[in-house]
Parts: sequence; structure tokens; C-alpha cells
Amino acid sequence: MTERFDDLQARAKTEWQALAESPQPRILVGTATCGRSAGAMEVLGAFGEQLGRRGLDCLLMEVGCIGMCYAEPIVSILKPGRPGISYGNVTPEKAAELVEAYLEGDDPLPDDALGTVGDGRLDGIPALSETPFFAAQVRRTLRNCGVIDPANIDHYLAQDGYRGLQRALATTPEEVIDRIKRSGLRGRGGAGFPTWRKWQFCRDAKGDHKYLVCNADEGDPGAFMNRSLLEGDPHALLEGMLIAGYAIGAAEGYLYCRAEYPLALERLRVALGQAEEYGLLGDRILGSHFSFRIKIKEGAGAFVCGEETALIASIEGRRGMPRPRPPFPAVSGLWGKPTIINNVETLACTSLILRNGPEWFAQYGTEKSKGTKTFALVGKVKRTGLVEVPLGITLREMIFGIGGGVLDDKPFKAVQTGGPSGGCIPASLLDTPVDYDSLQAAGTIMGSGGMVVMDNETCMVDIARYFLDFAQKESCGECVPCRLGTKQLLDVLTDITEGRGRPGDIELLVELAEAIKKGSLCGLGQTAPNPVLTTIRYFRDEYEAHINQKRCPAIVCKEIISSPCLHTCPISTQAPVYIALIAQGRFREAFESILEDNPLPSICARVCHHPCESKCQAGKWGAPVAVRALKRFAADYAAKEGIGPTPPRAEANGHKVAIVGSGPAGLMAGYRLAVRGYDVTIFEAMEIAGGALAACIPEYRLPNSVLRRDVERIEQAGVKIRTSTRIGKDVPFAKLREDFDAVFVATGAHASRKLGIAGEDAEGVLDAMEFLKNVNLNNQVELGRRVGVIGGGNSAVDAARVALRVEPCEEVLVIYRRTREEMPAFEEEVEAADEEGIRFHFLAAPSRVIVRDGKVAGVECLRMELGEPDESGRRRPVPIEGSEFAIELDTLIVAIGEHPADDFLGEAHGLSVTRWGTAKVSPETLVTNVEGVFAGGDIVTGPNTVIEAMAAGKLAAEMIDRYVRGEPVKREYGLLRPTRYEPPVELTEEEIEGATRPATPTLPVEERLKGLAEVDLPYTAEMAVAEARRCLRCDLETVHAKCALERIQSEGESHGG
Amino acid sequence: MADEVRLTIDGLRVTAASGATVLDAALDAGIYIPHLCHHPDLEPVGVCRLCMVEIEGRGLTLSCRALAEPGLVVKTESPEVDMVRRIAAELLIVNHHADCLACSKNDQCQLQRIASYVGIDEERLERLRRPERSVPIDTSNPFFDHDPNKCVLCGICVRTCDELQGVGAIDYAFRGYDTTISTFAGRPIAESRCESCGECVVRCPVGALRPKRFEQPSREVLTTCPYCGVGCGIYLGVRGNRITSARGDRENPASRGSLCVKGRFGHDFVGHPERLTTPLVKRNGRFEEATWDEALDLVAKRFAQYQGDRFAALSSAKITNEENYLVQKFTRAVMGTNNIDHCARLCHAPSVAGLAQSFGSGAMTNSIGEISQSACIFAIGTNTTAAHPVIGLRIKEAVRRGAKLIVANPKRIDLCRHAEIFLQHRPGTDVALMMGMMRVIVEQDLVDQEFVDTRCENFDAFRESLAAFDLDFVERTTRVPRQKTIDAARCYATHRPASILYAMGITQHTHGTDNVLATSNLALLTGNVGKPSTGVNPLRGQNNVQGACDLAALPNVFPGYQKVVDPKARAKFEAAWGCSLSDTPGLTHTEIFDAIDDGRVKALYQVGENPILSEADSTHVEKALEGIDFFVVQDIFLTETARLAHVVLPAATFAEKDGTFTNTERRVQRVRKAVDPPGEAKPDSWITCEIAKRMGASGFDFADASAVMEEIAALTPSYHGISYERLENGGLQWPCLDRDHPGTPLLHSQKFATASGKGKLMPLEYKPSAETEDDEYPLILTTDRSLYHFHTSTMTRKVDGLSALHPEELMRIHPDDASRLGIAEGDVVEVTSRRGRITVRVNVSDVCPPGVVSATFHFAESPINVVTHCAIDPVAKIPETKVCAVRVEKREAATPPA
Repeated sequence: MTERFDDLQARAKTEWQALAESPQPRILVGTATCGRSAGAMEVLGAFGEQLGRRGLDCLLMEVGCIGMCYAEPIVSILKPGRPGISYGNVTPEKAAELVEAYLEGDDPLPDDALGTVGDGRLDGIPALSETPFFAAQVRRTLRNCGVIDPANIDHYLAQDGYRGLQRALATTPEEVIDRIKRSGLRGRGGAGFPTWRKWQFCRDAKGDHKYLVCNADEGDPGAFMNRSLLEGDPHALLEGMLIAGYAIGAAEGYLYCRAEYPLALERLRVALGQAEEYGLLGDRILGSHFSFRIKIKEGAGAFVCGEETALIASIEGRRGMPRPRPPFPAVSGLWGKPTIINNVETLACTSLILRNGPEWFAQYGTEKSKGTKTFALVGKVKRTGLVEVPLGITLREMIFGIGGGVLDDKPFKAVQTGGPSGGCIPASLLDTPVDYDSLQAAGTIMGSGGMVVMDNETCMVDIARYFLDFAQKESCGECVPCRLGTKQLLDVLTDITEGRGRPGDIELLVELAEAIKKGSLCGLGQTAPNPVLTTIRYFRDEYEAHINQKRCPAIVCKEIISSPCLHTCPISTQAPVYIALIAQGRFREAFESILEDNPLPSICARVCHHPCESKCQAGKWGAPVAVRALKRFAADYAAKEGIGPTPPRAEANGHKVAIVGSGPAGLMAGYRLAVRGYDVTIFEAMEIAGGALAACIPEYRLPNSVLRRDVERIEQAGVKIRTSTRIGKDVPFAKLREDFDAVFVATGAHASRKLGIAGEDAEGVLDAMEFLKNVNLNNQVELGRRVGVIGGGNSAVDAARVALRVEPCEEVLVIYRRTREEMPAFEEEVEAADEEGIRFHFLAAPSRVIVRDGKVAGVECLRMELGEPDESGRRRPVPIEGSEFAIELDTLIVAIGEHPADDFLGEAHGLSVTRWGTAKVSPETLVTNVEGVFAGGDIVTGPNTVIEAMAAGKLAAEMIDRYVRGEPVKREYGLLRPTRYEPPVELTEEEIEGATRPATPTLPVEERLKGLAEVDLPYTAEMAVAEARRCLRCDLETVHAKCALERIQSEGESHGG
Repeated sequence: MADEVRLTIDGLRVTAASGATVLDAALDAGIYIPHLCHHPDLEPVGVCRLCMVEIEGRGLTLSCRALAEPGLVVKTESPEVDMVRRIAAELLIVNHHADCLACSKNDQCQLQRIASYVGIDEERLERLRRPERSVPIDTSNPFFDHDPNKCVLCGICVRTCDELQGVGAIDYAFRGYDTTISTFAGRPIAESRCESCGECVVRCPVGALRPKRFEQPSREVLTTCPYCGVGCGIYLGVRGNRITSARGDRENPASRGSLCVKGRFGHDFVGHPERLTTPLVKRNGRFEEATWDEALDLVAKRFAQYQGDRFAALSSAKITNEENYLVQKFTRAVMGTNNIDHCARLCHAPSVAGLAQSFGSGAMTNSIGEISQSACIFAIGTNTTAAHPVIGLRIKEAVRRGAKLIVANPKRIDLCRHAEIFLQHRPGTDVALMMGMMRVIVEQDLVDQEFVDTRCENFDAFRESLAAFDLDFVERTTRVPRQKTIDAARCYATHRPASILYAMGITQHTHGTDNVLATSNLALLTGNVGKPSTGVNPLRGQNNVQGACDLAALPNVFPGYQKVVDPKARAKFEAAWGCSLSDTPGLTHTEIFDAIDDGRVKALYQVGENPILSEADSTHVEKALEGIDFFVVQDIFLTETARLAHVVLPAATFAEKDGTFTNTERRVQRVRKAVDPPGEAKPDSWITCEIAKRMGASGFDFADASAVMEEIAALTPSYHGISYERLENGGLQWPCLDRDHPGTPLLHSQKFATASGKGKLMPLEYKPSAETEDDEYPLILTTDRSLYHFHTSTMTRKVDGLSALHPEELMRIHPDDASRLGIAEGDVVEVTSRRGRITVRVNVSDVCPPGVVSATFHFAESPINVVTHCAIDPVAKIPETKVCAVRVEKREAATPPA
């Protein structure tokens, strides 16, 4: 026996050696399914053609997949005497280039290379095994994939293939089982049952006929571990099957492989034929007493047929439906005989264990999870692929190390392991080791090795719905909990994602999920609820947002969000409507539409940070629609045309409300109360109205005249604004409470934070808030020639840009401790600052103000570097010790953040304070601890955006109205939908193909720096119409909108007809 | 019971049979555990998940799959059990189209029971999403509807159809929530393989499968099915004077609760408006209604003119034992002739004649219930699933248990789906086939020599006769590949116990008796007689064909097969009846019509028969009857034959009278009156007795049917121990020799009923059929039966649903023959034989082999017996309705579907 095998192997090795030493170069093209779908066959053809045309003697070989899915098609070129080089993303054109440059010439085109393979190094090309994708991997079961010709048994034999079988046959079945036991191998199909124990059951079961079944019915969405092995190294599986058959006492094996894997099936059939030819399969294998045959059974692609009893039913020719266990297949399985069903990878591992010994196998892994495991790393990860890692590696190492992190550097949100049977693991558990037990503790399973990475644009409720939809459709329908329960889960999830979630749904989901897990007949039902349970466990707030607030935080769920611009707007401005009106040239109506939700359109058109644009669907493939610029156009149009404010007013209701602070929150609240008939008085400490709008936003962004225009609208609505009236000084707070039915405190956050370093009090150190306010109110400011600004937020950029406009400043330097990517300031502001010549010093943090003669002379900084990501997902800056350096300055502006001034909080007026120094309110109602007093805006949130402050004002008005009318003060949410239907515009072919977003016209830089003139200019009417026509009208895609559209159309038709 | 298991359920100590499940144990102990997918007849599958219990040490466990093991401590309730069960129940309820009060399963619905047990909390239900879909109801089947909206997918119907019925008409289709119970390719049930047995409807725990017409009966009457010879126990549901339902009697050993489509749904004929309700007397060629006195006086007066051998009576295999006894007593004692026969002549005369020779007794040697335990079943000349559907179930059950089924039949019948070996021999070559098999058995030394040596005789002569049957000859003659014959022989001889079943495919031949002997030879040779689950089992066609024979509606015997030529027997009956009796055997069925034709017989009293359709070469019968002097027909409908009568007497159906039937396994079972006969119709016994009394005879005054049975028992040794009192507790299988005799399920266990007490192996030779194909008549016609009709369809065509399922005759013809003759599916053809011509529509199918066509005799529109051959078996006098030569010509093309 041994001689026979040794002969086979010796011959194979000789041939392999000859191949390796051949003077003929070789080209290896990965033509597994993944490669083919990326165009590998075309690349193969291109190489063939090139070689033929150039008359080059070169061996062109098809191999399996090396796992770098992100770089398919992959080609390796092996020139004699050199290390091989792997190239990724090879196209037919690139193939021609490679043949010419490297095969004919001697230029390995290092820029296109992924890395070198084998021994030796080449300059400019890293060793593939040392690239981040491979460095942490331990490729054992995948070792031959992409290396050998899967259609050539000699290649497998040359890699010591079938040595494991030969070793098994040389010993007893009991000893084989014992070796598997000592290896610690657990089932790679998902459940992780100790393989040896299963084998032992079957070995011990009574019966003449026993069967071994290989489960190659890989059905998880996004999983392709088995396919890759079957396509790249089919003999590894056959060898495993033979060993298992020998160990359990079976003479017949079935290979159950889904018919959707045609290439795998083809490779398997070839392999079976070769193994038989070599006497490795069939009667008296290798001259032993062991006979074994393998039949291939093609599955029709039912997910449930991965369940072993359903798989058995399917082989028997029945409908693939599971049956309860016991009896277990090991006792009564296929045709009622003892049967073992193992996963492809499990069997592939057994051949390695028999060849290399259990100790070799167990050198990797954790105490209870031994060896390596393959994973299909997919989803929103930079380097997708098939990877094999030692068990126990952390999710972080896999996703950020091997996978290179999240695609487009978006924040990581979760990873789904185990396919539809598994669960989602959040960022906080990224350091979970990947092993059977740790994953289970996290609420998921290893499964067959699917790993789907999700970024922050993934809605976790929607993900749960997606997996449930899959599980539900694949349920065999036999048992009640699975058939009806998963459908119920799906229906509830669908309701939630479509805005029909009800209070109690989360509890219902959990209850159903537990009952389905406990009550279902087979593994499908027992695990199907896992995605629901884990997403509830880790992302309950997202469920709550959908159910209670009818919001999809990730802006995914179509029926909830209607259009993302409307959904993301904190005050629900109906962008789709006014954009549609602008597109139709109905500018006046557009402006009126804006006014319905936003009484400060001119302000917002200039300073809003436009979250609407951040999720604009048009932005997915190009630039988002310029919503703010369109609003600006409409507002400016209205101003130019003299379209006056005509606020709707209800009859006076006799109630009085006091508002403290005339910033965006106060103005909004005042307006909304006034139009309801309230007698509203706003108390403003400054001499002009506008709060932060007036004090902090530079004139070149928001001219005072524009501010006045909107403030006047508020006043015309009936709101009285008493400027220069400081509550607590000019009017006692108690008096307000006496004279008014309710009070809304919206005094903002105007106090700058301190640096907390030496020298901060020196002359020439300014705080950004004071500085901006003084400039805006035309107060005296004194700056030096060289101005430094510390901070990376909007105040810092504003201060920097204002400083540059103030004599005698010549030079402004912004000092920020992180990098530009992490700057919280609006991107366009940073860009404008750049244009204007402001310099940035990143990764530097001040450690001391250098004071000379009591005046600032500079700042000493420490260099920083970025460490691990923190909770926000941003990498944390870490000081580099001893890296102090000095920057010479005449003025230092500190803009590291603001907080509410304490004159209104705490003991002053009795409002409770949070530990962050903000007013303590109920976030849902803005109710403070003082009866009849509400608070909102920056005083509650800390420094925030204009639009968020307005949203707080809107909410305050709503709650105060309820309070005054004696209704329960609670917030009600409904689905956001445009209040009117505007039909879509007809687009020309050119518009569909070529429309682009026009840049916002701006004042030339040299003009800007002459003073404080407004920098941004409005669109022309032509530009505005063209831009508005780019809107994709997402609002028309929801079911409700469709109904409206259909109704209007049918009405139109009936009128027309 | 020896093997008992003790366990604790809810603190109660419970005893269960070994092998019982925890659920069985609980239900037996009167402890309810909710369940939907469990049915005692079916393998537990555990899909409804409602029967979860908590077992100490095991946690949540399915009680329907867990074996009751000693010492188990079971709790049927716990918080966990409740959680799983409640959710499952709630999900079922919200997905169920509930219209309980209008639902025919109201009050019997298992879901209702579960709902009330679990307790429904409206608030909890309100949380759940209800489906919006509504699926169309399949109303295609005439007897029941399938409403998927009420389906709980317990799968009981699927398993019933598969496990119990072996039909497999339905299965699960689609996946997930869309899973549904469907026929193949989702076709309407009526177009599927479904046999409409209704077993699924009975078992459906909810209203998903529900009878189309349903009225709760106000009472139920246990009686015996009036259709085939299986003799299924049946509960007729009665409301007022109407039969509203029928259900199987689970206690009946023959049927064990099963019913076929006819037995379950085929009783509308009883209340049919065309029933005869008053005596009819033909005057001037037209029937006129008459009073009973007028009619009976006329009959008595005229019969008195034909006493002696000018009179003949045809009794019926459909009337009761008591009535048959009275008809033959009337014929013999009052009319003084042995000219009495009945249609057994046309079906199983060769069984009686043949098995009498080899075993000494011409009935099923074994019982129906034994069939399922056979290791091998050789079914030859029986389309069991169509003609004896409930016996067909036992065959399929046996196959399911691992038995080998060998089917020998010229046609690819439904049973072939379950067969290990199918021998498709040419019609009329049964002797060659079986002798070929026996030659293999002898040559391969598979004979049960000990059995042959000790219990058989005539082996040597028999063995010699095998010489003529070398396998080349056999293959040539039967056209069965020789290897198949060898395989079949080996299979039959090596799997014991082996059982032979046959029916008219064996008997209706000019060599029918030889065919029967071939079967008995086969059984004797392999020792498959006198042991459980073996034997030679002729399947009797009609409900009481066995009883009609037993009670001597035969020309040569008194009741209990006591020969009329036997002076001792004659003396016994003369003494009992107080008259002198003829010692000359009378005329047989076929001979009677010949005798009428040639004037020897002048008067005919015919009870419940329709020979115009059932007799071979029926033109000849019709001609004969047109010339007879006096012809009285006693029947429930004005049949094709009754139209020729001079007097028609309206009789009662099985449901309208008391009595007994004897089924094919010799089981005497009660028939009980459920409703009153319509109008003036009367039980046959009353009519016969009235005629006799008006002719001045004594001995026809009986208080009731049980009094007749007492007289039968007194005179008939094999019925000696039978009385109505005993039959109250179920049937008795004859021989039942005295009041304490338990009856005899198994014949010949110790010795045979032959004179020598030994089984006789009979040498046989191959005789071709009387008529074979030739150039003029190139096709062989063989007759067969439909599942949906019975005999001449007098009853079944009065049941709308059965007519809908099989509305007209479709003669089967092989595609090769059809294309040669230019015939397409649905065409109307002319079938011509030397005796006559009929028109019939065709069904082109490979059920028949090339050269063979087949048709039933159920349809008067296509009276196939016009063309059949009345050549008769010399011994049994049975006509050869299974083989005749015909010509088929296309007459008109199929009418395209509307």
C-alpha cells in the first residue's frame, strides 16, 4: 500500500519539480467563479492571444482563487529564477501590457503588482505574504487554492496530497477518530460540534450500511468559503471524505453540492474521475480493505437543505424538509442508516490533521476552538476576500487589519457573522475574539464563516428585516414557529421600517424571537431570530427611533424617510416641494413653501450646515443637489421682488409667553407661538436681535441686513423683541414667571472654553466668541500681525477668516490637534479659509502660551500622532513626548469650544444643570425642573448648529402651546411626508446624462479680504432651475406618494378623456 | 399487557404501552396536551410544536416524538412550555380565516380546542400582524373543498395520502409563509391523482379540507358498505329520513376505519328521486303503477303457472344473506326447481370450482387484515386499488413495511407504482406465466418440500406438467421477459409469508378454473397456505357475492355448499322446509338465458341484477328476455333490464333494511336499517315472502331478519354458530361451527377441506383464449373497472359526484395503436367484434400494451358487453369477458374543449 502511494506521489513531485524548474515562464490566472465574474476568462483569453501573437513559449494555467476578491481578476506570473508576482484587477489590456513589459521585456510593472509570491524579493514590490491582507492569515485549508491546477491530481499529490489518507489507512479507524479528537476539531459548518464525537456515534451505531455525506450546500448570502475550496482544491475535500468514511465505517459517500455551483461540480467530477483512476477511490483503495465510492447529488438551492435532516430528505428524493431529532443521523440518517454529515471545510481539515498530526493542527486557536477557519469577509470593507485565520483573532484584526477597515473610511457600525443565522456585533465588541464560544456569548454564531461588514449608512432594523426576509422565504414551512413566526417577525420589522411600528413592538419581537428559537424544529428556525435579537440588543435606539419617532437614523428605510432631505432637516423643511417648484420656474411659490416651515429662510440659506445635502440620493453618484443654494436663490428672489412677509396669524388667544434670547431658537419659538395667537415677548441682552446669528456669525457669511430681513418677519408676526434687556439684571426672572404663562429660555452657549494652560491670561489672548462679537457689533478689536487660532471647529475657522479681514493682521495660522479629516468645521468653510490663504498646523496641541512682557509672543505646542479610534470612531490624538516646538504669534484666539454662560443656570434662576454645564431638560419636551419654564437650543445642547436651535424653538413652541392649553406635554411623531404633491419634471436625455451641480458663485478672494462683504453669491435663475431639475424626487417613491401620483394621474386622465 | 411502562404526568402515575409516546400516554390517561399534527394512524412528525412538554432532565421536549419511558416525569405545563405554545397558537389563530360558526368543522376543530385550552387574550392578538392575503378555495372536487386559508399545514392530509393511501396526490409546495398543500404543479384537486377517498378530509383537524355538503347527523347507524366485497364498516349519519354523511368504523377489522370514494361519498342513490317507489305492471307495452296487492297477486298467479324447471330465478350478490336464502328457498321449495344462480357466475365461479378442487373450499383462505404483514404479495389479475380500494391500502401498507409486491397484469395499473416487479403478460396467458414461475421454483429448488410432502398430494403429476412450460415458451406466450418471470418466481418463493391476491383477471376466462388452480399450485408449492399472511385470496367483487354463494343462490347446492345431488342434504332440507326438493342441479346464469332463448325456461324472477349490461354478449341476453313469457324484476331503480320486465317490484336499498352481508374474507356482518324506503318500496325479503305466501307456501313467515338467520344457522354448518346477538359485537368469519366458535380467519391451517385433507397440486396445460386477434379483429379487448363506478353503475351513476369524477367511458388504447389507426385522445371510435358494435370515446395511454384495449362495463351508453365473448369455462361456466378480439375504427374527432 505504502509503496503504491509513494510511487504515485514521487511521480507527482517529480513533475511538479520539473514544472518549477522549467525554463518556461508560467502565467497563473485565477479562474474560480469570483475571478470569472470579474472577467478572468477574458483575461485568460487575452493572455493566450498575446502569447500566440508574440510567439512566446509560456505556460498558461488556470488556478483557483487566492482570496483577494477585491483585486480580481488576479494573475500571477512566474519567470524562471525570479519570485512570482501577483497582479490584481487585471484587464485584457493590462494583460497585453504585462506580456510586453515583463515577459518580453524585463519590467515587472511594480505599480500594478500586489506582491511577490514564493522565495526571493523584488525591489518595489512587497512580498504578498507580508501585505496586510495576508500577514495575519494562516492559510492551511486554502493553501493550494490559486497555487495548483485544481483539475490536476498530480498537483495535489505533489503538495503531499492524499498523504493523510495513506496515514489513515495505515492505522485503525479508532485511531483516526482519536487523532481527530486530539486535534480539537469542531464542525466548520456552524454549530461547532466536536467532529470526533459525531464520528464516534456513527462508528458505534449498529448497521451494515453507513453513509458519509459532505454538505457542500453553502447557502448563506455572502458566503463562498466552500465554493472556493471546491473550485480551487477539490481533492482536499475528497481526501477528507475518504478519511471520514474510513473512520466511521462507511463504504459510500454523497457529496451534496448546490447546482448553482457549476464550476465546483465540474471540478469535483474531474477530481472524482482522477481519484478513481489512481485507485484512491473505489474498491480496495491503495490496496487496503477499504472501499469507498462517492456520488454527487446536486441540490436545488434551498437554504434549508443545509440542515442535515433536510439534506438527507433531499438526497432521498423527497422535499427538503427537516425532521425532529432524535434520532440523530449518526444513528438513523440516509435511508434510515447511520450517517455522518460534515461540512466541506471540516473534511478538508481532517485530511490535514491526518497528514500533519493533531498537535500541528492544534497549535493555533483558543482553548476550545482549535485550528484555523476560513471566512468570507464581505460588505463595506476595503479588502473583501476569502481569508483563513487562526481562531481567536479579534474581529478588529480581521476587519481593520486584514480587511483594511471600512470602505471609504466611513465609521464602522457592525459586523454580521454566521449569515442569516448569526447576528450583528457592534463596534463596542470589535475586540471580541473570533471563536465559537465568544461569538455565541455575543449573541451570534460562527456559522460557516460569513462576515458582512456594515458602515454607518446601514440601518440595523432594515438589516434585521433583510435577514428575516431571507430566513422566512427559505423556511421549509413545516413547523409553526418558523413558518408563521419568522413571517410575523418580518411583518413587524417591515412595519417598523415603513413607519408603522407600534409601541410594544420591540417587546413583541423579543418574545416572538425567543419562542421561535425555543420552539422551532430545526436549526433554521432556531437561529433565524438571531439577527433580530442582536440588533435589538445592540441597536435598540435605532428601533426606538423608527417606532417612536418615525425616523430612520441611517436614512435607509424608504417609506419612513420619504426623501432624505426632508427627513434629515431638523425642522422638516419641504425641500422636495420647493425644489420641484423652482424646477418649474414657480419661484414665488417656492419661497412661500419654504416659509411654511422656516421663518428664517434668508439666514438658513446662508449659514445652515444643510444636513439635507449630506444624504441626498443624487449625491450617491455625483454631487448632491445644492439645496441650500436653491433656498438662497428663492429667498433672494423674494427679497428682490419685494415679496413681503405675510405671516399667517391666528386670533389672539390671550396667553403670554416670554422668551429669553433672540437667537435662532428664540426667534423660531416666538414666531411659531405668535402665529398661533400668543402674545410673545423676546428678551434680548444685546442691543440687537439675533443672538448668535448676530454676535458670532461673521458678516461675510451672514450680512446684518439679511439677518434683519428675517428678524423683521418674526416681528411682523407679532413677536415683540426687547433688546438690551438682560433677565436677572434688567428684569427679574421671577417677574417673567409671574407675568407670563410660560417662559422659554434660549440664551445659547456663548462662553468660550479655556485652554487650561499657562499664560492663557496674557494680553493678546482672545476668546473667539468675544472676538467675533466685537467685530460684528463694530466694537474695537486689537489684533497683531500674526494671529494664531487654536481649534478646529466652526468658531475657529470663523475667527481665523474674520481675523484676516481685520487690520493689521497679515497672517493667520490655525492650530489643530488632529488632522484636516477630523475637523468638525464645515468643509466649505475650511476650503474658503484655504482659498483666502489661512494656514493650518495639524497634529499640534498648545502646551504653553509664550508670554513676553505680559503680552502673548507665541505658543508652545506638542506634536501629536493619531492613535486608536475612540468611541466616535475618530482616531484619538496622542502627544509625542518631547516634541515641543514654538510658534511665534502676536495674537492668539482660543476657539476650542463654547458652553452656556452660567449666568442663567444653577442658583441664578434655579434651573438644573447637567454635568456638562448645560440646562437640564427633558429632551422630548424641553421641560425644565421649574414649572412653566422650558429651555432649548445651545443652552441645552452646548454649541450646535443654527438649524438644530431652530428645531428646538419649534419644539418649544409646540410644547408650550400644549402646556398653556392644559394638554399633556408630550411630543408626537408622525411620518414625514411632503404636504403637497408636485409632479416630476420631464428631463431631456442630456440632462439625465450630463447635469452637474453648479459651484456656488463667490466673491473673488482679493475682493473678499477687502472687508466683510458677503462671500457667497446666489445662483442665477437659470442655474437654479437647472440645478433643481437634478433633484431625483425621492418623495415620489414611497407608497403614499405613488398613490397620490396615481390618483392625480387617473383624475387627469378621466378629465382628459 | 406484558410490556407496560409507568411514568408520571403532571404528578399523575400513568401506565402506557411499551412503544407508546408521551403524548399517547397522556391522551390515554385523559390528560389533554394540545396538538395539531398528531394523528394516531400516522407517524409522528412533530411539526406543529404545540405538544411540547417539559420532561425532567430533558427540558422542553416534543411529547409526540418522545417515547414513554419508565420513570419519566412529565409536566404538560410550565412557563417555557406556555411561552412556546401560546405564541404558536396565537400565530396559528391570527393566520387562520376564522368563520367558526359557518365552518363545517365547528365544534370539531382542533384549533378551536387549542384556542380554548391556551386561552386567547385579545390584547396579545392585537399586537400581531394579520395576513392580508386570501387564497382561492379549490372547489374542483365534487365531494370536498380545499381552503388553504384555513390550513394549519399540519401535514396530516399529505401523510394520510402518502402513508395510508399510498396515493401521494398532495404534498407541500413552496417555502416559508407561502408554503401550501398542493397537488402536483398546483393543478385543481379534481385534475390530480387524488382518488377522492376523503381520508384527508376526515383527518383534517381544521376546516381546510371539508366536505362540500355537510349536515351534522342527528344519529348514526353502524352498517356495512354496499359496494365491493371488502365489507367496510360504515356509520351512516342520518337526519330525519335522510342520509347526510358516512364515516368509517375504526373497529371494523376488515376496513379499520378506511373508506374509498364510493363508500364515503356514494350514498346519494338511496334518496335519489328516480328510485322505484311503487310496483309497476306492464300493460300494452307500458308500465302502469299498481298496488302491491295487484302486483303480488299477478306475480303469484303467473309464477304458479310455471312451477318446475320452466322457472328460473336470478338472485343477487347485492341483497342480504337472508334475502338470498329466501329467494333460493322460494325457488327450490315453492317453485320446485334448482334453476337459481346469480352473478357470481360471472365473476368467481372458477374460484369456487377451482379452489374446491385444490383446497376443498372456494373462498379467501386468509383475512384482509393479514395482508399488511405479508413479506411478499403476488397480485395477479386484480386492479385492487380500483376494485377493492381498501384492500389496496393493505397492500400498500405491506409495501411500506418492506413487503415485495409483484403485480401481474396486462395493464399498467396503479398498483404498479408500488411494485417491485411488474409482469405485463398478454391477456389470457396467466397459466403460462404462473407455470413458468413454478418451473423456476422447482428448477431452482425453491419448493417448500416439507409442506409439499406432508400436506399436498399429486406433486409428481403436477411436476410433469411443468415440462411444457420451458421459459422460452413462457416468454413467447406471455411476452414477459424471461428474467422478470425468474425474478418474480424467486421473489415469491423466497419472501415468506407470501400472499396471492387475484380477482376477475384470473377468473373471467374460458380457462378461468385453470387460472385459479395455477394460483393454488403456486401457493401449495411454496407452503404459502394455512399460515397467517399467506394464501390464495380471490377478491370477491360485490358486497355480498360471498354470502349469495354461501346461501346457495347457486343451481347445484343448498346453503353451505351442501350438494343438491346429495340425498342426505336433500333430506335435511326437505325435512326442514316441509316439501320435496329437486335432485337435479339447475341451470347456471349463462345457461338460463340460453334456456329462455330456446323456450325451456318461460318465467324469470330476477332480483337486483342488470344482465343487459353485465352479461357477456348482452345482445343475446336482451333478445332472449324480449321473448320470455313472464319476467319479474325486483330492484331499486328501473334498470336497463327492468325495462324489459312484465312486473317491476320496488325494493329497498341496504340502508333501508336489516340483514347481513358476508364479505370477501367470509366475514358475516350486520346491515342495519337507517332510513325508511321511499314510497311503497319494500325490502326484498318481504317481497319474496309475500309472493311465496300468496302462492300458498308456508315457511315464509318471519318476524324479522334475525329469525331468517336463525333458520340459516340451523341448516348451514358453516353458519351454525352465527346469530344476530353475536353479530352485534362485530362480524364473524365462517366456518363458525357453534355458538362458542370464534369464527375462522384462516382456512386450512391444519388440514385442507378436500376429501383427503390434503392440498391437491393440479397438472395444468396452457389453453389459449377462445378468441384471439386476427386480421379482421386485430386487437384484444379486455374489460376492467373504474374506482368511481360499481358494476353496471345502477347506484354510482345516481351519485352526482361520482359521475362528475368519471362521467363517461374512455376506452384505453396504446399510443402506437392509436396513431396507427389515426385516433387521438378523446376521439369517438367504433368497437366491433363478431357479436356487436358499440361507440365509445378513447383515452390514449400506455396503461394498455400495444395490441390491447380495455374498457369498463359501467356505462349503458357504451355497453361493452355487446362485444364481449360468451365462450365459457367448461367447469365454472363463466364467460370469457377478459379476452375478445375487436376492431377499432375512428368515428368522430374529439370535440375541442369549450
